[in-house]
Amino acid sequence: MLDDQKQPLVTVDNLKMHFPIFGGLLQRRTGEVKAVDGISFDIFEGETLGLVGESGCGKSTVGRSVLRLYEVTDGSVVIDGQDIAKAAPEELRHMRTQMQMIFQDPQASLNPRMKVAEIIAEPLREHIKSTPAERRTRVLELMDQVGLNRDFANRYPHEFSGGQRQRIGIARALALNPKFIVCDEPIAALDVSIQAQVVNLLEELQETLGLTYLFISHDLSMVRHIADRVAVMYLGRIVELAPRDDIYADPQHPYTKALLSAVPEPDPSVEEKVERIILTGDVPSPAKPPQGCNFCTRCPAVKDICKRDEPEFREVQPGRFVACHRFNDIT
Amino acid sequence: MKLKLALMGAAASLASVPMAMADGHAGERGRDGNVSIIYWQAPSILNPFLSGGTKDIEAASMIIEPLARYNETGALVPWLASEIPTTENGGVSEDLTTITWKITPGIKWADGTPFTSADVKFTADYCMHPEGGCAQLTKFEGVTSVEALDDMTVKVTFDKPTPFPYGPFVGGESPIIQAAQFANCTGAAASSCSTENFNPIGTGPFKVVEFKPNDVITMEANDMYREEGKPAFASVTFKGGGDATAAGRAVMETGEFDYAWNLQLAPDVIANMEKGGKGTPVAGFGPLVERIMLNQTNPSADLSAEDRSVIRPHPFLGDPAVYKAMSMAIDRSLLVEIGYGKAGKVTCNWVPAPDAFNSTSMTCDKQDIAGANKLLEDAGWVDSNGDGSRDKDGVELSVLYQSSTNAVRQDFQALIKQWWSEIGITTELRNIDASVFFGGDAASPDTFQKFYADVEMYANTFNGTDPQSYLANGLCDKAPSPATQWQGENISRFCNEEFDALHAKLAETAGLEARAEIGKQLNDIIVQNGGMIPLVHRGRLSAHANSLGGVILNVWDSEIWNSADWYRIK
Amino acid sequence: MFTFTIRRLILTVPTLLFISFVIFMIVKLSPSDPTGNLPLTIPSEVREQIREALGVNKPLIVQYGLWLKQFFWLEPRIYLEHAFGWDMGTAGEVRLISYQTRSPVMELIMQRMPQTLMVVGTAYLVGTLIALPIGIISAYKQYSVFDQLGTLVSMIGFSVPPFFSGVLVIVLFSVMIPSDSFFWLPSIYDTTHEVTDWESFKYQFRQMIMPVMVLALQITAQISRFTRASMLDNLNQDYVRTARAKGLKEQTVVLVHVLRNSMIPVVTVIALGIPSIFGGAIITEQVFKVNGLGQLLIIAIQGGDVPTVQTLTFIFAILIVLFNLIADVLYGILDPRIRYD
Repeated sequence: MLDDQKQPLVTVDNLKMHFPIFGGLLQRRTGEVKAVDGISFDIFEGETLGLVGESGCGKSTVGRSVLRLYEVTDGSVVIDGQDIAKAAPEELRHMRTQMQMIFQDPQASLNPRMKVAEIIAEPLREHIKSTPAERRTRVLELMDQVGLNRDFANRYPHEFSGGQRQRIGIARALALNPKFIVCDEPIAALDVSIQAQVVNLLEELQETLGLTYLFISHDLSMVRHIADRVAVMYLGRIVELAPRDDIYADPQHPYTKALLSAVPEPDPSVEEKVERIILTGDVPSPAKPPQGCNFCTRCPAVKDICKRDEPEFREVQPGRFVACHRFNDIT
Repeated sequence: MKLKLALMGAAASLASVPMAMADGHAGERGRDGNVSIIYWQAPSILNPFLSGGTKDIEAASMIIEPLARYNETGALVPWLASEIPTTENGGVSEDLTTITWKITPGIKWADGTPFTSADVKFTADYCMHPEGGCAQLTKFEGVTSVEALDDMTVKVTFDKPTPFPYGPFVGGESPIIQAAQFANCTGAAASSCSTENFNPIGTGPFKVVEFKPNDVITMEANDMYREEGKPAFASVTFKGGGDATAAGRAVMETGEFDYAWNLQLAPDVIANMEKGGKGTPVAGFGPLVERIMLNQTNPSADLSAEDRSVIRPHPFLGDPAVYKAMSMAIDRSLLVEIGYGKAGKVTCNWVPAPDAFNSTSMTCDKQDIAGANKLLEDAGWVDSNGDGSRDKDGVELSVLYQSSTNAVRQDFQALIKQWWSEIGITTELRNIDASVFFGGDAASPDTFQKFYADVEMYANTFNGTDPQSYLANGLCDKAPSPATQWQGENISRFCNEEFDALHAKLAETAGLEARAEIGKQLNDIIVQNGGMIPLVHRGRLSAHANSLGGVILNVWDSEIWNSADWYRIK
Repeated sequence: MFTFTIRRLILTVPTLLFISFVIFMIVKLSPSDPTGNLPLTIPSEVREQIREALGVNKPLIVQYGLWLKQFFWLEPRIYLEHAFGWDMGTAGEVRLISYQTRSPVMELIMQRMPQTLMVVGTAYLVGTLIALPIGIISAYKQYSVFDQLGTLVSMIGFSVPPFFSGVLVIVLFSVMIPSDSFFWLPSIYDTTHEVTDWESFKYQFRQMIMPVMVLALQITAQISRFTRASMLDNLNQDYVRTARAKGLKEQTVVLVHVLRNSMIPVVTVIALGIPSIFGGAIITEQVFKVNGLGQLLIIAIQGGDVPTVQTLTFIFAILIVLFNLIADVLYGILDPRIRYD
């Protein structure tokens, strides 16, 4: 797939998402949390980009910013040739048909007071001129597509199991035939047995509908299963971006190495030999990131320059990007 | 002294003003439209026999009337009767056991039927019915029979010589109700007659249009009223509820009402309201006295409930040096100034009014801490153990001082506690909610009757102008005790043979002068023997709009007794 | 839901009986005396006779039984007689009589009901209508100037007691403003006033302004805070993000998704507050002399009028129990996640 010279569907350039902190007697702005601090990447049409990182590194924020569910602080997000980061509200609203999101918590992301059919039909009503009957047909079609029993159309979300609810969420996301879907930890809240079903469903839909995914997860093995390329985030920045097989076989960035060394191996004989890299210290607060390289406080291979200058995010090998001073010499 | 002068001036102008205006004021009945009265305690019922409440009695006084009333000077004036019966005019029998009233001919009830002696007799039967629970039964004390001699004559017979026979049918508490209306409401049925109790047919200047209990009474002029051209007002709005401040404000500041009753407010509050310029406060003095009662029995908590009210004497309050010093240490002028202002006067007497009964044998308007200290010193009360209170023979001068919860009373308590500490008496203060303190619940230890304290402060008064029954509150057998289920009015449990004998003499003496002389002696005995420490002679302060003429504040009867004479100043 | 409602209704009977007994005992055992407020000039023998005539001295259990009979058996029949003109044989029976006024308690209550409903009810309505938009906007624009202002107003509403705010507005609008001015408002509510034409309606409106606004301030404070909190809870929910992701108009997102869900707890709180309307607003009624149920209750308490206190508090208890049930049922209707079966 990578061999084909595909056009990027999504181009993210220097995206920044800073959340203000209010404090003091008058609730004035006293600082900001740099949840996403200048990241860039492309997603090609039809591919799945995995976005991994530990909790709090800003990966969900990236997902939401890319769809402009947050008002981004800086940078641009071009989807299908349109910069949505700067689009006017009404324009943006229409662009939303092209991009959708699947949320982590299927329970919380569905309005508890709306029936399944209403939830799925709502975007249709909003964006496409249609009669109730037409919408009904489309809703049932979508329910078939995601493997939901048609008879359940008039039930409320709380009457479903977790996996079924996530299917409702997927059906809802598909309603307007989007090209690009952000999957924000879509399986994290599900039982392991259900996880596989949902992931398979996502893969199946990608195949049949030609979807492009940004798949956000902290589950490295699931990402390995579904993603074509993988980006690793640490403290608001992408430290490494590479094709899946490369990154798993030969991680470049010290953080990626540490992260991947934590993945349990299914084979006990291999598992025994794995040398785990244990990182010391805590992740710094995104409100006060360290000077220089974000990872310098915990990096096992830290150098003086790391504490001074921010490393550039550069292509160290064709298709492989790393942000680390260790690769300064290479290019 | 200044205050006294000012008061006398106010009283004089009060007396002369209405006179001057009344001259030029006459005309059609109902010519002046509506008059609005506010009582911050709302009337609950218009039948004074079923409620002893002042608010109810006074509201009813505009509708139903007695045979005779007291005027603003405390003198009896005939009202529905043609004259006041006396021994001189033969209305009172020589042996003082009967009184015969003659009704003014031609008086009609508001429904047009004639007012007769049968109604008077019915009223007596109504109140004296054993199951009726009549609140004004004391008015009929000693009455054995009431006979209608003819349509216009009623004879009341007492069980013994009654030198003051003006109890029944005299004053706002004992008006005449219509026999025809209340015929089915006697005895146990009294309570179920709410229509009658809310809308009594009367002979007064006004009649009820609508009565909303505890809220508002709407009245209109009585067409059958006996005097031509009166009342001047066609209708009355008699609003109840709220508080004294709001009532005063409504008359003196916003001008929404014409008359506000009984403004028990701090003197500076009244003065501020007066600046509103829409109304004027008026004060009148009845016999109401704020006093400290001195316990004659031993209230020690170590004694059982049965004994606390019986064991005599009090460990130290019986010592003349102690109670005299306690009285001398009090600055009564200051108490008047901060507590009552215009509506208070210094008094040393239990019976400060009417004037004839006001004893002049004692003075107490000067505080004398040094004298009080000396008195105690001389009597052997010294602080031998240095704990701040004087003692003698192991008895400490330390008192528990209780009163009802009320801002002025608590101010008084604090001041008096300070003064007493200056003469070496330590005081513990206590205040009890009025409904409990005066509630008379035999199970509660906090009632003023039980008097489980050394001293207690409250105010008391009597109705009418004759203090005989009030002076009876000092009789030995009126003391509340377990044996009487805590009933009785001799709160301090004062007991003095001389007093009892003199009171018996009063009960047999006729003639105002002679009675007044005995009354003063009784007053002096109780005060000088440590039954109580009188503090302030309290008046009643009401306010009327500047445009309301004819108001004569009367403390001896309903204060709106002459509402028939009220008019609008244009 | 239906069986739940029925079951709950049946359960209320023993609950209410128990409450009535507790109220009776509390009122009876508290040190109050119907003759306590009479002048001291009335001697104790007469007081005793008055108490006897009122039936205060009968054994407690007899008094309670009598009250039960009068309240549950006699008074409803009398009401039916009045309403439909039937003869249910109540003639000659002794009704539930107030000690103070010697008139039937139920008639007193009926007489007080209109002004209380008029003033307190309007205040509740006005307060709620002001509170909802304030709460919604405050939450939507959290930390904005509007929100800060809303917080300030609510704080004032919560912390300033009506005996202060009431007197303050009286001083402002009745005392300081001359009585011939257009802005002058009456400080004393006229309960006899009847609305017959435009002029009398205007007067009614004027005399209601101050008590209604004083009460509404408190109600607004409570409900707007509650609405704001509930809105904030929902605004940060994932389903709101979903709604935005669907490309819905912001208006639709807030009004359809957030508001509807936020209203579930708010509506039940509003329902739970309704009994307080009937309870009147004791202090505000006193300040403006509205003389409704609150004032009736406080005067009855002061006067040791046991039958009135007992009946009023019991009626409040019924309303509270009833509206609790209504709130529960409403919750069930509004929130599909809740099922009572």
